[in-house]
Amino acid sequence: MSTIRNWLPMKWPCGPLEMARRTKSGSMNSEGKQAIEACGQASALELLEGTPVNCLVVPWAEGRPEDSAQRQALQPLLEAGRRLGISFVGKVGSTADAASAAASARAAGFAAVMMEDPSGQSFDLPVIPQFSRDKVAWEKTSTIFSSSGNVWPGMNLETMHGDTAVAGPTGIPWVNSNAWFGLLAAELAPGKTLWLDFDPPATSTSARPAGYALAVADSRAYGSRWIISLDDKLLAALSKGNPQAKQVWKNICAMHAFFERHREWEAFQSLGALAVVSDFRGENAYLSGEVLNLLNRRGVQFRVIERARTLPALTPGLKAILWLDKQAPTADQHSQLLDFTQQGGLLIAPDYWGPAGVAPTKKDPSLAYTMYNVGKGQIEVAEAGFQDPYQVAVDTHLLLSRRNDLVRLYNPETANCHCSGDFTSPQKGKRLVQVLNYGSDPASSVTVWLNARAASARLWGPEAKDARTLQGLAASPGTEFNLPPLSVYCALEFEGINL
Amino acid sequence: MTTTACSRRKFVGSMGAAAGAWLARPAMFLARSAPAARVAVGACREYGPQVLETLRTMFEQIGGLQGLVRGKTVAVKLNLTGDATDRLGYLPAGLTHWVHPEVVGATVQLLGEAGARRIRLLESPMGTAEPLEEFMLQANWEPRDFASAAPRVEFENTNYLGYGRKYARFWVPGGGLRFKGYDLNHSYEDCDVFVSLAKLKEHVTAGVTLSMKNCFGITPCTIYGDDSPVDEPSLTPRGGRGPFHEMNRLPPKSAPPVVSVNAPKDPGYSVPRVVADLVAARPIHLAIIDGIHSMAGGEGPWCDHVRHVRPGLLVAGTNCVAADAVCVALMGFDPMADRGTPPFETCDSTLRLAEQLGVGTRDLSRIEVAGVPIAKARFNFRQA
Repeated sequence: MSTIRNWLPMKWPCGPLEMARRTKSGSMNSEGKQAIEACGQASALELLEGTPVNCLVVPWAEGRPEDSAQRQALQPLLEAGRRLGISFVGKVGSTADAASAAASARAAGFAAVMMEDPSGQSFDLPVIPQFSRDKVAWEKTSTIFSSSGNVWPGMNLETMHGDTAVAGPTGIPWVNSNAWFGLLAAELAPGKTLWLDFDPPATSTSARPAGYALAVADSRAYGSRWIISLDDKLLAALSKGNPQAKQVWKNICAMHAFFERHREWEAFQSLGALAVVSDFRGENAYLSGEVLNLLNRRGVQFRVIERARTLPALTPGLKAILWLDKQAPTADQHSQLLDFTQQGGLLIAPDYWGPAGVAPTKKDPSLAYTMYNVGKGQIEVAEAGFQDPYQVAVDTHLLLSRRNDLVRLYNPETANCHCSGDFTSPQKGKRLVQVLNYGSDPASSVTVWLNARAASARLWGPEAKDARTLQGLAASPGTEFNLPPLSVYCALEFEGINL
Repeated sequence: MTTTACSRRKFVGSMGAAAGAWLARPAMFLARSAPAARVAVGACREYGPQVLETLRTMFEQIGGLQGLVRGKTVAVKLNLTGDATDRLGYLPAGLTHWVHPEVVGATVQLLGEAGARRIRLLESPMGTAEPLEEFMLQANWEPRDFASAAPRVEFENTNYLGYGRKYARFWVPGGGLRFKGYDLNHSYEDCDVFVSLAKLKEHVTAGVTLSMKNCFGITPCTIYGDDSPVDEPSLTPRGGRGPFHEMNRLPPKSAPPVVSVNAPKDPGYSVPRVVADLVAARPIHLAIIDGIHSMAGGEGPWCDHVRHVRPGLLVAGTNCVAADAVCVALMGFDPMADRGTPPFETCDSTLRLAEQLGVGTRDLSRIEVAGVPIAKARFNFRQA
């Protein structure tokens, strides 16, 4: 059995409980029935042999009459799974008696249970708390915690007309991603693992085969894990040995296996010339979350800083702090922020907290900000506060200036990237640029521009076990790397450079 | 080249009045007697230090820059079409659909050396009010290189009101072909000399895009854009200039009116007329066309069947129609061609329309070419 930190989870819809739940909700159809029946068979676990998937999340208790039938029905599956080294997590619904469900799960050999709001109760086996994404009690998270309410990564279904993507207000295709939430979790729950719970969309147009691999990559590139969830059609096809379905499954596993081979990347820290500060909770949760999401969508590289933590100091790699909350900094933080600006940093804030007597100026007519020169740096104050997260993200990028971009994509279309680095080494450590394609077609002629000199990079992808060397092309400034056609994911790894 | 003291408003006004009088003359006569000016053609195989020297020679060949720009505010409209991250394959925009930054830098330096008091680099970047410098940075251009190439170099995004308090109104002499006038960013009025710094390209809608078509982009999308409001300009631009193509909506009521609401809505009819209107209303004093590297088949990477080409040419002239006519000939086309004949298979000729407005002649027999002869420099875009 793998240790809890090494679990790679998959949703396994099976048993009378799943049947009852779907029947009650009216979502049962023939494919669903077929999938649930197939998953209930011990032989179905053969699917997992030789794959990195080592943990199944199964329905366990919902406080319904079917609970006891579920326990009986799952016994053969659990026994077969144990022989294969698979760990089981029992999903306990909010209407179930949590203590009783946990006790029965332990007795049945489950490795953990997953439930909403387990606070105030003690259990004899590990509990994976699950939160709605907009209401995570970060202080109650455990080694593994889960969120619901996530999005299926890829083109936004609501902006698709058939296979054609409709652009957002920026002209950039409207892309859904859970990236920002993974970055937020890394800051607010350091050292813990976030499991993202989301299912494929009901419409098959977006659930292209590569979409599953993207769902894995969009989670793992940003430090979280997706609880793999296959649609009924795919599950049913897999149970019949359909070759196309098997290829989709193979791609999902290949993507996971790739990230397993690069576990060291999980310890890398996000890089960015911008630090976004908020408590990310309560009344600040929506604005701060959306700003992170939209900054990411613009390709801005940033670091997330919880407001209660020590603020970062000005370094060659950090140029600006975006203070999102209406709440003013504490006296200590105020002093740190002033130091930051005195030394040349940029503070973007909803209010002016600088020294008295500094005359305001205006930088650009397109930006509704008032600028105060403080020491060698500036404080940019939003004239009407922070209202629209889209505008905050756009303005922040411009106030920071693209001169401070670490990385940029040319011909990005539906691609985006994430920049991180290994800071455990006292020397210049590894730097990583992960590129994800959220579109339905391979991205062609994408160029990665890096704001540093680099002769070459190691190009990694899930399609090959070894990296290939990609030569850099000197640009002025920086270096460019021309990517081969990008299906879903690739990573450029650098050594000995500073970003 | 000589100049007389004249305020910019008087100058623009007098140009309009002259063109208005011109239009009162018979059409055939207009074509034969529209203004002509010498055009310089320079061979320049690659970007690099040779760009500066080639342009210096060419500017001398057309009469020198000093008389034109000394002590003046010079506005330079760049051709930076599309998004800053668009590329044809892996090629930087300057090698295909944008004027190359070395041509921009060399032009700024030579304008500075000729005594320009202030040089303002202008463009209306696609769908945004962000500072022009930021748009350039996104393409990995360094605006500081331009700012240090001459004294007092400024930048402005002209896709919205910008630094102005109100839009500047330009009436088209003779009443206009598409609109009676155009409201533009103040930068196009607050200058003494207007330079169009363009790329040598074909254009899917207008046949070619050269110094005149470059001016399509002087129109702010707050007024002429896809999402412009009904009554007043929007604060920020969104989208492109679809209404100029399809005529599917009119600009806000605050802008000068359309000539005829019943005119054809065909983009091949509309776009050339808007361009001809614009260069008649806002005259170009110096046309510079970068054809060192370019693309054939269309104006940007978003067009089908486009390819990178290397004509190795620079063109400059003080009359935009004459300069564009020489460019059209250099590209392997007949500048006297009109709708139905390459490169104007599906559109009217902007050259002919501008000629009829009295802006300049497209008749090569009336245009003196300095530098490399057309026959020697010709680069056939359709066979490239």
